[in-house]
Amino acid sequence: MGTSAPHIQSQVHRHRANWRGLVVVLVLAVVIALVGVSRMEALLRDLLSLSILRQVGIGIGLFFLILIPLTGIYSVVSQYAFWEGWLEGIPQPAELLQANARHEGGQQVRRFVIYLDGIHQQEKDHPPRVSAFLEELKQRLADDHRLVRDLETYTFLPVALADDSGSAWFWRRLFHWQEHHPNGFVQLLAAVLVQANNVIKVGISSDRRYGPIRNYELALKITLRLAEEGFDPSQGSELVLLGYSGGGEMAMGVADYLRSICKVPVQIITFCGVFSGNQLLERTKQVTLVVGTRDPVAAFGRIAYPGRLPLLPFSKWNKVCRQGLVQREVIAGMNHNGNRGPFSERYRGDVVGRVLDVLRQTERAG
Amino acid sequence: MLEQRLEQLVENTVVSLPEAHTGLVLVVLVGFSFSLSHVFSLLANRLKPRQILFHVLLDSLVLAAALLIASFINMVLIALHTQLLVEPKQFFNAIGGALAPGLFYVLVAAPYVSDLIAIAIWVLIHLNVITLVHLRFGLPYAEVVPLVTPGYVVALVLIALLFRSSWRRSYDRLASEFRA
Repeated sequence: MGTSAPHIQSQVHRHRANWRGLVVVLVLAVVIALVGVSRMEALLRDLLSLSILRQVGIGIGLFFLILIPLTGIYSVVSQYAFWEGWLEGIPQPAELLQANARHEGGQQVRRFVIYLDGIHQQEKDHPPRVSAFLEELKQRLADDHRLVRDLETYTFLPVALADDSGSAWFWRRLFHWQEHHPNGFVQLLAAVLVQANNVIKVGISSDRRYGPIRNYELALKITLRLAEEGFDPSQGSELVLLGYSGGGEMAMGVADYLRSICKVPVQIITFCGVFSGNQLLERTKQVTLVVGTRDPVAAFGRIAYPGRLPLLPFSKWNKVCRQGLVQREVIAGMNHNGNRGPFSERYRGDVVGRVLDVLRQTERAG
Repeated sequence: MLEQRLEQLVENTVVSLPEAHTGLVLVVLVGFSFSLSHVFSLLANRLKPRQILFHVLLDSLVLAAALLIASFINMVLIALHTQLLVEPKQFFNAIGGALAPGLFYVLVAAPYVSDLIAIAIWVLIHLNVITLVHLRFGLPYAEVVPLVTPGYVVALVLIALLFRSSWRRSYDRLASEFRA
Protein backbone atom coordinates (compact mmCIF):
# COMPACT_ATOMS: atom_id res chain seq x y z
CA MET A 1 0.00 0.00 0.00
CA GLY A 2 2.69 2.37 1.10
CA THR A 3 4.60 2.10 -2.15
CA SER A 4 1.55 2.29 -4.43
CA ALA A 5 0.27 5.66 -3.09
CA PRO A 6 3.04 7.84 -4.59
CA HIS A 7 2.80 5.88 -7.84
CA ILE A 8 -0.95 6.56 -8.09
CA GLN A 9 -0.35 10.21 -7.20
CA SER A 10 2.25 10.61 -9.96
CA GLN A 11 -0.14 8.95 -12.45
CA VAL A 12 -2.89 11.38 -11.44
CA HIS A 13 -0.44 14.28 -11.98
CA ARG A 14 0.52 12.94 -15.39
CA HIS A 15 -3.13 12.54 -16.43
CA ARG A 16 -3.87 16.05 -15.24
CA ALA A 17 -0.93 17.42 -17.24
CA ASN A 18 -2.13 15.53 -20.33
CA TRP A 19 -5.62 16.98 -19.96
CA ARG A 20 -4.21 20.47 -19.61
CA GLY A 21 -2.10 19.97 -22.72
CA LEU A 22 -5.14 18.75 -24.66
CA VAL A 23 -7.21 21.76 -23.60
CA VAL A 24 -4.41 24.17 -24.62
CA VAL A 25 -4.10 22.51 -28.06
CA LEU A 26 -7.88 22.63 -28.56
CA VAL A 27 -8.07 26.31 -27.62
CA LEU A 28 -5.23 27.10 -30.03
CA ALA A 29 -6.93 25.16 -32.81
CA VAL A 30 -10.18 27.07 -32.28
CA VAL A 31 -8.34 30.42 -32.29
CA ILE A 32 -6.53 29.57 -35.52
CA ALA A 33 -9.76 28.46 -37.15
CA LEU A 34 -11.56 31.63 -36.08
CA VAL A 35 -8.88 34.12 -37.06
CA GLY A 36 -8.04 32.33 -40.27
CA VAL A 37 -4.79 30.75 -41.31
CA SER A 38 -3.78 33.57 -43.66
CA ARG A 39 -4.40 36.25 -41.02
CA MET A 40 -2.46 34.16 -38.49
CA GLU A 41 0.46 33.88 -40.89
CA ALA A 42 0.60 37.67 -41.32
CA LEU A 43 0.35 38.15 -37.55
CA LEU A 44 3.19 35.70 -36.90
CA ARG A 45 5.34 37.37 -39.54
CA ASP A 46 4.81 40.72 -37.82
CA LEU A 47 5.52 39.27 -34.40
CA LEU A 48 8.71 37.57 -35.50
CA SER A 49 10.22 40.70 -37.00
CA LEU A 50 13.76 41.45 -35.90
CA SER A 51 12.93 44.69 -34.11
CA ILE A 52 10.17 43.08 -32.01
CA LEU A 53 12.41 40.13 -31.15
CA ARG A 54 15.13 42.58 -30.13
CA GLN A 55 12.69 44.48 -27.94
CA VAL A 56 11.49 41.27 -26.31
CA GLY A 57 15.13 40.27 -25.72
CA ILE A 58 15.92 43.63 -24.13
CA GLY A 59 12.78 43.38 -21.98
CA ILE A 60 13.70 39.91 -20.73
CA GLY A 61 17.30 41.04 -20.10
CA LEU A 62 16.13 44.08 -18.10
CA PHE A 63 13.69 41.91 -16.15
CA PHE A 64 16.51 39.60 -15.05
CA LEU A 65 18.86 42.53 -14.40
CA ILE A 66 16.37 43.84 -11.87
CA LEU A 67 15.16 40.44 -10.61
CA ILE A 68 18.63 39.19 -9.57
CA PRO A 69 19.46 42.11 -7.22
CA LEU A 70 15.89 42.10 -5.88
CA THR A 71 16.23 38.41 -4.97
CA GLY A 72 19.46 39.23 -3.15
CA ILE A 73 17.78 42.08 -1.29
CA TYR A 74 14.91 39.77 -0.27
CA SER A 75 17.43 37.34 1.23
CA VAL A 76 19.05 40.16 3.19
CA VAL A 77 15.62 41.32 4.44
CA SER A 78 14.85 37.92 5.97
CA GLN A 79 18.29 37.90 7.59
CA TYR A 80 17.63 41.31 9.17
CA ALA A 81 14.15 40.25 10.25
CA PHE A 82 15.83 37.61 12.40
CA TRP A 83 18.49 40.07 13.56
CA GLU A 84 15.86 42.58 14.66
CA GLY A 85 14.10 39.87 16.63
CA TRP A 86 10.98 39.94 14.43
CA LEU A 87 11.03 36.18 13.87
CA GLU A 88 11.94 34.28 17.01
CA GLY A 89 14.34 36.64 18.71
CA ILE A 90 18.11 36.39 18.58
CA PRO A 91 19.60 34.39 21.46
CA GLN A 92 22.57 35.43 23.58
CA PRO A 93 25.59 33.14 22.98
CA ALA A 94 26.30 32.48 26.66
CA GLU A 95 22.68 31.51 27.31
CA LEU A 96 22.78 29.25 24.30
CA LEU A 97 25.63 27.18 25.64
CA GLN A 98 24.23 26.97 29.17
CA ALA A 99 20.61 26.25 28.26
CA ASN A 100 21.32 23.60 25.66
CA ALA A 101 24.32 21.86 27.15
CA ARG A 102 23.85 18.08 27.26
CA HIS A 103 26.52 16.47 29.35
CA GLU A 104 26.66 12.85 28.40
CA GLY A 105 29.41 12.04 30.82
CA GLY A 106 31.20 9.85 28.29
CA GLN A 107 34.64 10.19 26.79
CA GLN A 108 35.96 13.71 26.53
CA VAL A 109 35.81 15.06 22.97
CA ARG A 110 39.07 16.60 21.86
CA ARG A 111 37.82 17.92 18.56
CA PHE A 112 34.43 18.64 17.05
CA VAL A 113 34.59 18.36 13.25
CA ILE A 114 31.68 20.41 11.89
CA TYR A 115 30.69 19.64 8.31
CA LEU A 116 29.24 22.49 6.21
CA ASP A 117 27.79 21.32 2.91
CA GLY A 118 27.94 22.92 -0.54
CA ILE A 119 25.25 24.88 -2.35
CA HIS A 120 23.40 21.72 -3.41
CA GLN A 121 22.08 21.37 0.14
CA GLN A 122 18.29 21.61 0.47
CA GLU A 123 17.56 20.06 3.81
CA LYS A 124 19.19 18.53 6.87
CA ASP A 125 19.83 15.15 5.28
CA HIS A 126 22.69 15.02 2.83
CA PRO A 127 22.52 13.32 -0.58
CA PRO A 128 23.60 9.61 -0.60
CA ARG A 129 27.13 10.30 -1.94
CA VAL A 130 27.78 12.97 0.69
CA SER A 131 26.38 10.70 3.40
CA ALA A 132 28.72 7.91 2.29
CA PHE A 133 31.65 10.34 2.44
CA LEU A 134 30.69 11.50 5.93
CA GLU A 135 30.18 7.92 7.07
CA GLU A 136 33.72 7.02 5.94
CA LEU A 137 35.11 10.13 7.62
CA LYS A 138 33.29 9.28 10.86
CA GLN A 139 34.67 5.74 10.88
CA ARG A 140 38.24 6.86 10.25
CA LEU A 141 38.22 9.76 12.73
CA ALA A 142 40.11 9.29 16.00
CA ASP A 143 38.03 8.12 18.98
CA ASP A 144 38.24 11.47 20.70
CA HIS A 145 36.95 13.33 17.60
CA ARG A 146 33.24 13.85 16.94
CA LEU A 147 31.69 14.60 13.56
CA VAL A 148 28.84 17.14 13.61
CA ARG A 149 26.77 16.75 10.43
CA ASP A 150 23.29 17.50 9.07
CA LEU A 151 23.57 21.23 9.65
CA GLU A 152 21.58 23.44 7.26
CA THR A 153 24.37 25.74 6.20
CA TYR A 154 22.26 28.18 4.21
CA THR A 155 19.49 28.99 6.67
CA PHE A 156 20.11 30.92 9.86
CA LEU A 157 17.20 29.48 11.82
CA PRO A 158 17.45 25.82 12.85
CA VAL A 159 14.94 24.91 10.15
CA ALA A 160 15.12 23.68 6.59
CA LEU A 161 14.30 25.97 3.66
CA ALA A 162 10.88 24.35 3.37
CA ASP A 163 10.05 25.71 6.84
CA ASP A 164 11.50 29.17 6.27
CA SER A 165 8.92 31.72 7.37
CA GLY A 166 7.61 33.84 4.54
CA SER A 167 8.88 31.69 1.69
CA ALA A 168 8.02 28.15 2.85
CA TRP A 169 5.19 27.79 0.29
CA PHE A 170 7.60 28.69 -2.50
CA TRP A 171 10.33 26.25 -1.47
CA ARG A 172 7.92 23.38 -0.88
CA ARG A 173 6.50 23.83 -4.38
CA LEU A 174 10.01 24.07 -5.83
CA PHE A 175 11.22 20.90 -4.07
CA HIS A 176 8.12 19.08 -5.28
CA TRP A 177 8.75 20.16 -8.88
CA GLN A 178 12.39 19.24 -8.60
CA GLU A 179 11.50 15.66 -7.69
CA HIS A 180 8.15 14.96 -9.31
CA HIS A 181 7.44 17.32 -12.20
CA PRO A 182 6.81 15.34 -15.43
CA ASN A 183 8.76 17.90 -17.49
CA GLY A 184 12.53 17.47 -17.24
CA PHE A 185 13.18 21.14 -18.00
CA VAL A 186 11.00 22.26 -15.06
CA GLN A 187 12.86 19.80 -12.81
CA LEU A 188 16.16 21.30 -13.91
CA LEU A 189 14.90 24.87 -13.48
CA ALA A 190 13.66 24.09 -9.96
CA ALA A 191 17.06 22.58 -9.05
CA VAL A 192 18.85 25.66 -10.43
CA LEU A 193 16.59 27.98 -8.42
CA VAL A 194 17.26 26.09 -5.17
CA GLN A 195 21.00 26.31 -5.79
CA ALA A 196 20.73 29.97 -6.80
CA ASN A 197 19.23 30.71 -3.38
CA ASN A 198 22.23 29.10 -1.70
CA VAL A 199 24.63 30.97 -4.01
CA ILE A 200 23.00 34.22 -2.82
CA LYS A 201 23.64 33.15 0.78
CA VAL A 202 27.33 32.62 -0.09
CA GLY A 203 27.29 36.12 -1.63
CA ILE A 204 25.77 37.60 1.54
CA SER A 205 28.35 35.86 3.71
CA SER A 206 31.18 37.34 1.66
CA ASP A 207 29.65 40.84 1.51
CA ARG A 208 31.53 43.27 3.74
CA ARG A 209 28.27 45.00 4.74
CA TYR A 210 25.99 42.03 5.43
CA GLY A 211 28.55 39.31 6.08
CA PRO A 212 29.07 40.06 9.79
CA ILE A 213 25.40 39.61 10.72
CA ARG A 214 24.85 36.61 8.45
CA ASN A 215 27.96 34.85 9.75
CA TYR A 216 27.16 35.71 13.35
CA GLU A 217 23.68 34.21 12.96
CA LEU A 218 25.12 31.03 11.48
CA ALA A 219 27.72 30.88 14.26
CA LEU A 220 24.88 31.01 16.80
CA LYS A 221 23.15 28.16 15.03
CA ILE A 222 26.33 26.07 15.06
CA THR A 223 26.88 26.90 18.74
CA LEU A 224 23.37 25.68 19.52
CA ARG A 225 24.11 22.42 17.72
CA LEU A 226 27.47 22.06 19.46
CA ALA A 227 25.78 22.44 22.83
CA GLU A 228 23.36 19.67 21.86
CA GLU A 229 26.36 17.51 20.91
CA GLY A 230 27.79 17.96 24.39
CA PHE A 231 30.28 20.74 23.73
CA ASP A 232 31.52 22.39 26.90
CA PRO A 233 33.91 25.38 26.55
CA SER A 234 35.60 24.50 29.85
CA GLN A 235 36.78 21.10 28.55
CA GLY A 236 39.32 22.60 26.17
CA SER A 237 37.98 21.01 23.00
CA GLU A 238 38.87 22.42 19.59
CA LEU A 239 36.62 23.12 16.63
CA VAL A 240 37.37 22.09 13.06
CA LEU A 241 35.18 23.54 10.33
CA LEU A 242 35.09 21.28 7.30
CA GLY A 243 33.49 23.01 4.31
CA TYR A 244 32.78 21.71 0.84
CA SER A 245 32.45 24.23 -2.03
CA GLY A 246 30.27 27.16 -0.79
CA GLY A 247 30.49 25.59 2.67
CA GLY A 248 34.13 26.75 2.59
CA GLU A 249 32.96 30.38 2.47
CA MET A 250 30.51 29.77 5.30
CA ALA A 251 33.29 28.09 7.34
CA MET A 252 35.58 31.10 6.92
CA GLY A 253 32.69 33.44 7.71
CA VAL A 254 31.80 31.81 11.02
CA ALA A 255 35.32 30.87 12.19
CA ASP A 256 36.15 34.06 14.10
CA TYR A 257 32.67 34.32 15.66
CA LEU A 258 32.79 30.71 16.83
CA ARG A 259 36.23 31.36 18.30
CA SER A 260 34.89 34.32 20.33
CA ILE A 261 31.58 32.67 21.30
CA CYS A 262 33.03 29.28 22.28
CA LYS A 263 36.44 30.61 23.39
CA VAL A 264 38.31 27.71 21.83
CA PRO A 265 40.76 27.45 18.90
CA VAL A 266 39.15 27.05 15.48
CA GLN A 267 40.70 25.40 12.43
CA ILE A 268 39.32 25.43 8.88
CA ILE A 269 39.61 22.72 6.24
CA THR A 270 37.91 23.26 2.89
CA PHE A 271 37.76 20.88 -0.04
CA CYS A 272 36.87 22.23 -3.49
CA GLY A 273 36.19 25.47 -1.59
CA VAL A 274 34.70 28.56 -3.19
CA PHE A 275 35.33 31.48 -0.85
CA SER A 276 36.09 35.18 -0.74
CA GLY A 277 38.74 35.16 1.99
CA ASN A 278 37.67 38.64 3.10
CA GLN A 279 36.92 37.59 6.67
CA LEU A 280 39.14 37.94 9.74
CA LEU A 281 41.22 34.79 9.68
CA GLU A 282 44.38 35.87 11.54
CA ARG A 283 43.17 34.38 14.79
CA THR A 284 42.26 31.05 13.20
CA LYS A 285 44.58 28.17 14.06
CA GLN A 286 45.11 27.11 10.46
CA VAL A 287 43.36 27.18 7.08
CA THR A 288 43.83 24.17 4.81
CA LEU A 289 42.57 24.06 1.24
CA VAL A 290 42.18 20.62 -0.34
CA VAL A 291 41.90 21.31 -4.07
CA GLY A 292 41.58 19.21 -7.20
CA THR A 293 43.70 19.95 -10.24
CA ARG A 294 40.61 19.64 -12.49
CA ASP A 295 38.22 21.73 -10.44
CA PRO A 296 36.95 24.65 -12.56
CA VAL A 297 34.47 25.87 -9.91
CA ALA A 298 37.08 26.34 -7.20
CA ALA A 299 39.35 28.01 -9.77
CA PHE A 300 36.50 30.33 -10.76
CA GLY A 301 36.27 31.39 -7.09
CA ARG A 302 39.58 33.24 -7.46
CA ILE A 303 38.10 35.33 -10.27
CA ALA A 304 34.72 35.78 -8.60
CA TYR A 305 36.54 37.06 -5.50
CA PRO A 306 39.41 39.23 -6.78
CA GLY A 307 40.72 39.73 -3.23
CA ARG A 308 42.37 36.33 -3.56
CA LEU A 309 44.38 37.33 -6.63
CA PRO A 310 48.03 38.32 -6.09
CA LEU A 311 47.19 41.62 -7.82
CA LEU A 312 45.78 42.90 -4.52
CA PRO A 313 48.60 42.19 -2.03
CA PHE A 314 46.92 44.07 0.85
CA SER A 315 43.67 42.10 0.77
CA LYS A 316 42.80 40.16 3.93
CA TRP A 317 43.34 36.83 2.19
CA ASN A 318 46.78 37.73 0.87
CA LYS A 319 47.82 39.00 4.32
CA VAL A 320 46.79 35.69 5.90
CA CYS A 321 48.68 33.81 3.18
CA ARG A 322 51.82 35.84 3.93
CA GLN A 323 51.49 34.98 7.63
CA GLY A 324 51.80 31.31 6.66
CA LEU A 325 48.38 30.33 7.99
CA VAL A 326 47.19 28.86 4.70
CA GLN A 327 48.20 25.40 3.56
CA ARG A 328 47.29 23.78 0.21
CA GLU A 329 46.78 20.08 -0.42
CA VAL A 330 46.46 19.18 -4.10
CA ILE A 331 44.71 16.05 -5.36
CA ALA A 332 45.63 15.27 -8.96
CA GLY A 333 42.72 14.77 -11.38
CA MET A 334 39.92 15.62 -8.93
CA ASN A 335 36.98 17.66 -10.22
CA HIS A 336 34.34 19.67 -8.30
CA ASN A 337 31.55 17.06 -8.42
CA GLY A 338 30.27 14.07 -10.35
CA ASN A 339 32.24 10.90 -11.02
CA ARG A 340 35.58 12.62 -10.46
CA GLY A 341 34.40 14.79 -7.57
CA PRO A 342 35.41 14.51 -3.90
CA PHE A 343 32.35 12.37 -3.07
CA SER A 344 32.95 9.90 -5.88
CA GLU A 345 34.18 6.42 -4.98
CA ARG A 346 37.37 7.23 -6.86
CA TYR A 347 38.40 10.21 -4.73
CA ARG A 348 36.40 9.85 -1.52
CA GLY A 349 39.08 7.88 0.31
CA ASP A 350 41.79 10.26 -0.86
CA VAL A 351 39.95 13.36 0.37
CA VAL A 352 39.12 11.76 3.72
CA GLY A 353 42.77 10.69 4.02
CA ARG A 354 44.01 14.23 3.42
CA VAL A 355 41.58 15.65 5.97
CA LEU A 356 42.80 13.13 8.55
CA ASP A 357 46.44 13.90 7.70
CA VAL A 358 45.82 17.60 8.31
CA LEU A 359 44.12 16.84 11.62
CA ARG A 360 47.06 14.69 12.72
CA GLN A 361 49.60 17.32 11.65
CA THR A 362 47.90 20.12 13.57
CA GLU A 363 47.51 17.85 16.59
CA ARG A 364 51.24 17.18 16.60
CA ALA A 365 52.02 20.86 16.14
CA GLY A 366 49.88 21.54 19.23
CA MET B 1 33.81 90.87 -15.43
CA LEU B 2 34.12 87.23 -14.32
CA GLU B 3 33.02 88.14 -10.83
CA GLN B 4 29.99 89.96 -12.18
CA ARG B 5 29.02 87.04 -14.38
CA LEU B 6 29.39 84.57 -11.54
CA GLU B 7 27.30 86.77 -9.27
CA GLN B 8 24.60 86.93 -11.92
CA LEU B 9 24.62 83.16 -12.37
CA VAL B 10 24.30 82.53 -8.64
CA GLU B 11 21.47 85.03 -8.41
CA ASN B 12 19.64 83.47 -11.35
CA THR B 13 20.09 80.00 -9.92
CA VAL B 14 18.75 80.98 -6.51
CA VAL B 15 15.71 82.61 -8.12
CA SER B 16 14.91 79.94 -10.70
CA LEU B 17 15.94 76.71 -8.93
CA PRO B 18 12.63 76.37 -7.01
CA GLU B 19 10.83 76.60 -10.38
CA ALA B 20 12.75 73.62 -11.84
CA HIS B 21 10.16 71.20 -10.46
CA THR B 22 11.03 68.22 -12.68
CA GLY B 23 14.73 68.47 -11.96
CA LEU B 24 14.27 68.93 -8.23
CA VAL B 25 11.84 66.04 -7.87
CA LEU B 26 14.17 63.75 -9.84
CA VAL B 27 17.23 64.80 -7.82
CA VAL B 28 15.41 64.19 -4.52
CA LEU B 29 14.17 60.81 -5.78
CA VAL B 30 17.69 59.85 -6.83
CA GLY B 31 18.91 60.91 -3.37
CA PHE B 32 16.17 58.79 -1.80
CA SER B 33 17.22 55.79 -3.89
CA PHE B 34 20.87 56.28 -2.82
CA SER B 35 19.80 56.54 0.79
CA LEU B 36 17.54 53.49 0.60
CA SER B 37 20.39 51.39 -0.76
CA HIS B 38 22.06 51.64 2.66
CA VAL B 39 18.97 51.25 4.82
CA PHE B 40 20.33 47.92 6.10
CA SER B 41 23.12 49.78 7.90
CA LEU B 42 20.40 51.39 10.01
CA LEU B 43 18.62 48.08 10.55
CA ALA B 44 21.94 46.52 11.54
CA ASN B 45 22.26 49.04 14.36
CA ARG B 46 18.71 48.28 15.49
CA LEU B 47 17.28 51.76 15.10
CA LYS B 48 13.54 52.18 15.61
CA PRO B 49 11.33 52.60 12.49
CA ARG B 50 10.85 56.32 13.16
CA GLN B 51 14.61 56.84 13.52
CA ILE B 52 15.21 54.88 10.31
CA LEU B 53 12.68 57.00 8.41
CA PHE B 54 14.28 60.18 9.74
CA HIS B 55 17.77 59.04 8.74
CA VAL B 56 16.65 57.92 5.28
CA LEU B 57 14.92 61.24 4.58
CA LEU B 58 17.81 63.28 5.96
CA ASP B 59 20.35 61.32 3.91
CA SER B 60 18.13 61.75 0.82
CA LEU B 61 18.16 65.51 1.22
CA VAL B 62 21.92 65.64 1.87
CA LEU B 63 22.55 63.50 -1.21
CA ALA B 64 20.18 65.62 -3.31
CA ALA B 65 22.07 68.72 -2.14
CA ALA B 66 25.39 67.08 -3.13
CA LEU B 67 24.02 66.33 -6.61
CA LEU B 68 22.69 69.88 -6.96
CA ILE B 69 26.07 71.35 -5.96
CA ALA B 70 27.78 69.14 -8.55
CA SER B 71 25.26 70.22 -11.21
CA PHE B 72 25.74 73.86 -10.26
CA ILE B 73 29.52 73.49 -10.75
CA ASN B 74 28.84 72.02 -14.20
CA MET B 75 26.57 74.92 -15.06
CA VAL B 76 29.08 77.57 -13.94
CA LEU B 77 31.92 75.97 -15.90
CA ILE B 78 29.79 75.70 -19.05
CA ALA B 79 28.57 79.30 -18.75
CA LEU B 80 32.10 80.63 -18.22
CA HIS B 81 33.57 78.55 -21.01
CA THR B 82 30.94 79.12 -23.70
CA GLN B 83 29.88 82.68 -22.76
CA LEU B 84 26.34 81.49 -23.54
CA LEU B 85 23.33 82.43 -21.49
CA VAL B 86 22.51 79.31 -19.46
CA GLU B 87 18.97 79.23 -18.12
CA PRO B 88 19.24 77.53 -14.67
CA LYS B 89 15.63 76.29 -14.66
CA GLN B 90 16.02 74.46 -17.97
CA PHE B 91 19.52 73.26 -17.07
CA PHE B 92 18.47 71.67 -13.77
CA ASN B 93 15.38 70.08 -15.35
CA ALA B 94 17.58 68.52 -18.03
CA ILE B 95 20.23 67.42 -15.51
CA GLY B 96 17.49 65.77 -13.43
CA GLY B 97 16.68 63.63 -16.46
CA ALA B 98 20.35 62.76 -16.95
CA LEU B 99 20.51 61.52 -13.35
CA ALA B 100 17.61 59.09 -13.97
CA PRO B 101 19.81 55.91 -13.83
CA GLY B 102 20.38 56.87 -10.19
CA LEU B 103 16.74 55.96 -9.51
CA PHE B 104 17.89 52.32 -9.67
CA TYR B 105 20.67 52.90 -7.12
CA VAL B 106 18.53 51.16 -4.51
CA LEU B 107 19.62 47.89 -6.18
CA VAL B 108 23.10 48.53 -4.75
CA ALA B 109 21.62 47.03 -1.57
CA ALA B 110 21.92 43.63 -3.25
CA PRO B 111 24.75 41.49 -1.88
CA TYR B 112 27.90 40.67 -3.88
CA VAL B 113 26.88 42.46 -7.13
CA SER B 114 26.52 45.84 -5.40
CA ASP B 115 29.86 47.28 -6.54
CA LEU B 116 29.18 46.33 -10.14
CA ILE B 117 25.73 47.96 -10.08
CA ALA B 118 27.08 51.11 -8.39
CA ILE B 119 29.88 51.50 -10.95
CA ALA B 120 27.49 50.91 -13.88
CA ILE B 121 25.06 53.55 -12.58
CA TRP B 122 27.79 56.14 -11.96
CA VAL B 123 29.23 55.58 -15.44
CA LEU B 124 25.74 55.86 -17.00
CA ILE B 125 25.08 59.11 -15.15
CA HIS B 126 28.35 60.63 -16.34
CA LEU B 127 27.75 59.52 -19.93
CA ASN B 128 24.22 60.98 -19.77
CA VAL B 129 25.49 64.35 -18.56
CA ILE B 130 28.22 64.42 -21.24
CA THR B 131 25.70 63.63 -24.00
CA LEU B 132 23.23 66.17 -22.63
CA VAL B 133 25.75 69.01 -22.60
CA HIS B 134 27.07 67.99 -26.03
CA LEU B 135 23.60 68.08 -27.59
CA ARG B 136 22.21 71.12 -25.78
CA PHE B 137 25.22 73.44 -26.14
CA GLY B 138 26.65 72.04 -29.37
CA LEU B 139 30.08 71.54 -27.81
CA PRO B 140 32.43 68.80 -29.05
CA TYR B 141 32.96 65.84 -26.70
CA ALA B 142 36.61 66.80 -26.19
CA GLU B 143 35.49 70.07 -24.59
CA VAL B 144 32.49 68.65 -22.74
CA VAL B 145 34.43 65.99 -20.80
CA PRO B 146 36.78 68.38 -18.93
CA LEU B 147 33.86 70.74 -18.31
CA VAL B 148 31.56 68.23 -16.60
CA THR B 149 34.16 66.02 -14.92
CA PRO B 150 34.93 68.38 -11.98
CA GLY B 151 31.24 68.43 -10.98
CA TYR B 152 31.12 64.66 -11.28
CA VAL B 153 34.21 64.26 -9.10
CA VAL B 154 32.73 66.63 -6.48
CA ALA B 155 29.53 64.54 -6.41
CA LEU B 156 31.56 61.34 -5.98
CA VAL B 157 33.68 62.85 -3.19
CA LEU B 158 30.66 64.24 -1.30
CA ILE B 159 28.82 60.92 -1.47
CA ALA B 160 31.97 58.98 -0.52
CA LEU B 161 32.35 61.28 2.51
CA LEU B 162 28.77 60.60 3.56
CA PHE B 163 29.38 56.87 3.09
CA ARG B 164 32.53 57.01 5.23
CA SER B 165 31.06 59.12 8.01
CA SER B 166 27.70 57.39 8.24
CA TRP B 167 27.01 54.07 6.57
CA ARG B 168 30.40 52.38 6.62
CA ARG B 169 30.92 53.37 10.24
CA SER B 170 27.61 51.71 11.07
CA TYR B 171 28.59 48.46 9.36
CA ASP B 172 32.09 48.49 10.87
CA ARG B 173 30.91 49.33 14.38
CA LEU B 174 28.65 46.34 14.29
CA ALA B 175 31.39 44.01 13.11
CA SER B 176 33.78 45.19 15.82
CA GLU B 177 31.12 44.74 18.55
CA PHE B 178 30.78 41.07 17.67
CA ARG B 179 34.47 40.44 17.73
CA ALA B 180 35.11 42.16 21.03
